[in-house]
Amino acid sequence: MKKNSGQEKTPVRLKGLGKALCITLDPRDPFDYLKDELVKQFQDKKQLAVNTKIVFDFGGFQGYDDLIVELSAFLKEQFAVGDVSGPLKSKPKHANRPKRLEDMEKSWHKYQSEALILSGRVRSGQKAAAGKHLIILGDVNPGAEVIAGGDILVLGSLRGTAIAGNPDNEESIILALDFRPTQVQIGGYVAAGNPSSAEKMIEFAHIEQGTIVVEDYLKADPFGKIPWPQVR
Amino acid sequence: MSGKIIVITSGKGGVGKTTATASIGAALALEGKKVAVVDMDIGLRNLDVVMGLENRIVFNIVDIVNGRCKVKQAAIKDRRIDNLFLIPASQSDNKDALTPEGVVGVSEELKEEFDYTLMDCPAGIEQGFENSIAAADEAVVVCTPDVSAVRDADRVIGLLYARSITPKLIVNRIVPLMVERGDMLSHEDMVDVLSVELAGLVPMDDNVVVSTNTGVPLVLQKESKAGSAFRRIARRLNGQNDLPIVVPQSQDRFWKKIGSRLGIGR
Repeated sequence: MKKNSGQEKTPVRLKGLGKALCITLDPRDPFDYLKDELVKQFQDKKQLAVNTKIVFDFGGFQGYDDLIVELSAFLKEQFAVGDVSGPLKSKPKHANRPKRLEDMEKSWHKYQSEALILSGRVRSGQKAAAGKHLIILGDVNPGAEVIAGGDILVLGSLRGTAIAGNPDNEESIILALDFRPTQVQIGGYVAAGNPSSAEKMIEFAHIEQGTIVVEDYLKADPFGKIPWPQVR
Repeated sequence: MSGKIIVITSGKGGVGKTTATASIGAALALEGKKVAVVDMDIGLRNLDVVMGLENRIVFNIVDIVNGRCKVKQAAIKDRRIDNLFLIPASQSDNKDALTPEGVVGVSEELKEEFDYTLMDCPAGIEQGFENSIAAADEAVVVCTPDVSAVRDADRVIGLLYARSITPKLIVNRIVPLMVERGDMLSHEDMVDVLSVELAGLVPMDDNVVVSTNTGVPLVLQKESKAGSAFRRIARRLNGQNDLPIVVPQSQDRFWKKIGSRLGIGR
């Protein structure tokens, strides 16, 4: 059932599945290719992967138990992941869709949104908190506080305190169309707000080598390098 | 006939709530409305002094709420302006003497008796604030062009919205020269942050001190800029919404403008 070597290989994907990580791949691809792809995927998520439960999704293909054992040993050795298991049996609909591979590009379709979107002004003394990402369509006034487990996007003026990646997600960003916060915190790092730059530009804060850095979002284009859309 | 209860509040102390209450009350009365100004600052009453009526106090708002007297008995008529009445605060009780329910209980009687009842809210957002806004139909937030006052006003505006009251903003103590130099927040900056409708802009005015100490209403002083600003605010609150907002300007700027018109300015 091996694919022809000339045939295009299916990319390996990582996504969150509750507290576990789900790895989607085509079991017919060569083992070395899968290994390389996994290393690529896990490279920048090393901390995240430690002791995390891993679930493999073979897109409906059955009978690759050997591959699971091999990949499991590899991942445990390289990235110290937690339990590794095969496709979840509790989702029989997978079995009914053997040719789901064509749909891999749309893997985020069945993804439940974890972003809290609020519209309006967050005023002094008010606090907007979200477990994952927080999007404010409006302004955040001085004295107000916005907290998120993931990213904070303010489509307006950010003048209050913004705490992203609470408590320890250092991958998070804080973005605002008008970025002049009192203070920003990302994953435990704290930075005092400073006067915004004279020219109007969309700025975002992220962590770079242990410090919070604020950059012009359009110039830095931090997500433009990701070749296809993926769930954040 | 049912009147309106308007609460004058700010969050921060010392921004001019009491002056604004006395002035707007007097101005509304001059417009021909029957007005009561109520001092809600139990234990720290001021409004009676500002209005020069402290020697005529018999009953107070706590007596009304506790049923010891009628609104008519406690309301002190102003000496100079017809239709203007003061309901003073109690000086001896503590802040727990009133409850929001008690205030709501007398609000009907107040609305029955007066076209406008202005509540002078104490500073802070505790019991006194809760009492003052409990029965309010409208709210006016007084704010000076300071970062700290804006912060507190913002908090109060949030609390008012939470109770379905849409407040209006008075920017008090504007020094036009400092605004022009960029040393003071402009009212545009403040509206930008607070995003509420402007009721009016009041310039800094030495006459306020004179008025507060002598008990002569600010709005009766013809040359007072603050007085005329409060008169315009009163007319806006009285339903004259199309009255344009006058932005305080320095003399300097005025002559510069004329100069540039005539082609002699820089």
